[in-house]
Amino acid sequence: MQTVSLDNVIVSDKPEGLEGAGFFATSLEKVVGLARKNSIWPLPFATSCCGIEFMATMGAHYDLARFGSERLSFSPRQADLLMVMGTIAKKMGPVLRQVYEQMAEPRWVLSVGACACSGGIFDTYSVLQGIDRIIPVDVYVPGCPPRPEQIIEGIMNIQRLVESESLRRRNSPAYKAMLNNYGIE
Amino acid sequence: MDQAHLNDYFPIVMMFIVASGFVVVTMVATHLLGPKRNTKTKLEAFESGIASKGNARVPFNIKYFLVAILFVLFDVEVIFMYPWAVLFKELGMAGFVEMVLFIAFLLVGFLYIIKRGALKWE
Amino acid sequence: MESNKAELIEKIIDALKEKYEDQVLGIDSPYEFLTVSLKQEKIVEIIRYLYDHPDTRFRFLTTLCGIHYPDQNAIAVMYQLHNMVTNQRIRLKIFLPEDNPVTPTITPIFSGANWMERETYDFYGVVFQGHPNLKRILNVEEMIMFPMRKEFPLEDQVREDKSDKMFGR
Repeated sequence: MQTVSLDNVIVSDKPEGLEGAGFFATSLEKVVGLARKNSIWPLPFATSCCGIEFMATMGAHYDLARFGSERLSFSPRQADLLMVMGTIAKKMGPVLRQVYEQMAEPRWVLSVGACACSGGIFDTYSVLQGIDRIIPVDVYVPGCPPRPEQIIEGIMNIQRLVESESLRRRNSPAYKAMLNNYGIE
Repeated sequence: MDQAHLNDYFPIVMMFIVASGFVVVTMVATHLLGPKRNTKTKLEAFESGIASKGNARVPFNIKYFLVAILFVLFDVEVIFMYPWAVLFKELGMAGFVEMVLFIAFLLVGFLYIIKRGALKWE
Repeated sequence: MESNKAELIEKIIDALKEKYEDQVLGIDSPYEFLTVSLKQEKIVEIIRYLYDHPDTRFRFLTTLCGIHYPDQNAIAVMYQLHNMVTNQRIRLKIFLPEDNPVTPTITPIFSGANWMERETYDFYGVVFQGHPNLKRILNVEEMIMFPMRKEFPLEDQVREDKSDKMFGR
């Protein structure tokens, strides 16, 4: 068993700022970004097999909770990250869109699995060929199903996006234009 | 033992002001200063993504209200018993008799409730 | 055991032929599964008769579905019934014309047929008269085509990023 010494402990980087005896001053955006990225509360929109892989990711072995996603919420009002895991049928499309629209900003979308990214192997009349036909997606995790390590890599990419998101993004015209592209107000 | 001065209670008042002030200021300030973006769909009631129909307010059975209101009444009675319990020795026999009369009045009310079947659940 | 089973099958066929000889188009046993093809006119009566008759007593509807035979321009509706006491199964097939597949519903006899008939309507277009709620069950409500008919293509027609070379076209 490895003894814990300070050489094999990974300490995360602190943001740039002014440091002194007993204080650390940095910009508000960086602090907020740091706080947000380590406490992302996901909404698991699990429909199929990728949902089972997500259950494995949330289990003790691949613990997703250590990234701050301790509390899952099935209500979009209290969630930051919409994780779409599984095949979305065309009948489910409006439901997914409504759930996305009812999330409060700041919100991100993670599309897990081949079916959510592009329809997967189900190239048929009833399956939506990728959720990015109806909602904007931030990170895609390919795989059928992706292993928990890959899902965690997806979450870490989301964390990178969260850290660098501007505080006023939701009121910016670029954000509005992007949503208008999808027909969302 | 000294008489308790009003000044001695000042720290409690201060703590109360700080605690409630913190809550009020953070809630009000975040509501006023926080960025918001409300759209029509976002404000609709959440019904797992499907369109919600109708009003959620439906009339419900009155027995829930009766149980709650009777609890409040008898709870207030118990609250009156607390200071009596603290000063039991000082109040002596007179206090005891007064208290027994008080409880007797409320007991008559309680018997009336039971006879009328206000607490019958079905 | 074998003769017992054969006897039971004989009894079922006799009970059916006793009253509805003219409705029977053919009797077969593919893979030892008794299959009877019937005319469409009296199917509800026949199912009711098979439910009540003491020799048959088919009291459980396993499934009902549609089958499209484009060569014969027919859409078949297949009912699978099960007698749970003697563990006997029977398959009844009726053939409906492709351009107007209409047949009465069997929901008065088996409540479980409700969703199964909706599914058959959704995918084949078979209209069940007397059905309490005949609308699409698995597909999007606004769909105008019936997907499981042979002429309907499987793939999503709105994709623009598929290369024909990769799919052999």
